[in-house]
Amino acid sequence: MEPSFLITLYSLGITITMYAFSRMLAKEYAWLRATPVFISTALIILILTVGGVREQDYSQAREILAFLLGPATVALAVPIYKNRQHLYAHAVPVVLGLVTGSVATILVVVAVAKLFQATPIVLLSLGLQSVTVPVALDLAHLLKGSETLTAGVVIITGMLGAMLSPWLMNRIGIHHPMARGLVLGTLAQEQGTAQAAVEGELQGAIAAIAMGVAAVFIALLAPVLMPTLI
Amino acid sequence: MKNMAVLSVQILFLALISKLGYFVAELLSLPLPGNVLGMLFLLVLLWSRVLPLRLIEKGSLLLVQHLALFVIPIAVGLMNFGDPLLDNGLVMLLALGVSLVVGICVTGLVSQRLVKPKREESHGTEFPDHAV
Repeated sequence: MEPSFLITLYSLGITITMYAFSRMLAKEYAWLRATPVFISTALIILILTVGGVREQDYSQAREILAFLLGPATVALAVPIYKNRQHLYAHAVPVVLGLVTGSVATILVVVAVAKLFQATPIVLLSLGLQSVTVPVALDLAHLLKGSETLTAGVVIITGMLGAMLSPWLMNRIGIHHPMARGLVLGTLAQEQGTAQAAVEGELQGAIAAIAMGVAAVFIALLAPVLMPTLI
Repeated sequence: MKNMAVLSVQILFLALISKLGYFVAELLSLPLPGNVLGMLFLLVLLWSRVLPLRLIEKGSLLLVQHLALFVIPIAVGLMNFGDPLLDNGLVMLLALGVSLVVGICVTGLVSQRLVKPKREESHGTEFPDHAV
């Protein structure tokens, strides 16, 4: 049965309100900066569950908002194009850092999860951890994995990566703004890019580029690499 | 009002490129998400100056800024995922944590190692940091 118009309207309202609220929190409190996606998702699930709205009832609201994912992903070309000077200036370190880091991350995450006998569905989602969500979802679909689980993995990765990276980079002496932006954008997608933009202009620009380039790189790599790994 | 109309047209245009990406990927049976292909199309259009940036800039940046809003509803689907998540949650967190630490070190050290000598040689003349 199609969810009713009112439930869809209610679901949309809750979603947008919680999104705005979590963004406000992230702006207000520095330690919540990397968490808006996680917090709003958790709050929405809580409110829907308490209000007796089932997952199926939410589907229409999801489709309306997810429709914009396609154009939003295409739009990622704009920050890359606008910041192309930074890409020209740092082409070699950006490309090599991104390729080695992405491949290392995928190999390690699959190896660790395999150690604990994770299922292929879980392995696939984990392997897509660093890809920006819309592309990760498409890849999950393409490789016959779970889109929902992949979304969860990517969101958690973004949050962990955005919180962990600045701290770890300070420890191991990564100070160059280009390298810092590259790490955040390559490994923690949207949430990392937001964090990088707070650190500085060059960091933000490089992170935006890295997020887009990493998505393209892994989109090319995953269909070949993942089936052999899992 | 006019602003809204302009934004809608820009977003519609981006949606068309996204559809075109899926269509071409299907047509050539490329193992590549249509979204990514669409993004590459737009990049080529901008780079070749066929499409001036200002015609799509506002709508694009609006969508990019709120990418998270379009992602959250999909993550909400996790509310149906209780059991497998609880079973695998700890292993997944561990795997993600370890791989992130490795990834941060590799990406950061490789890129910083490669950028340093160049900076010292050119000393800000050939590769100024803020050459925008």
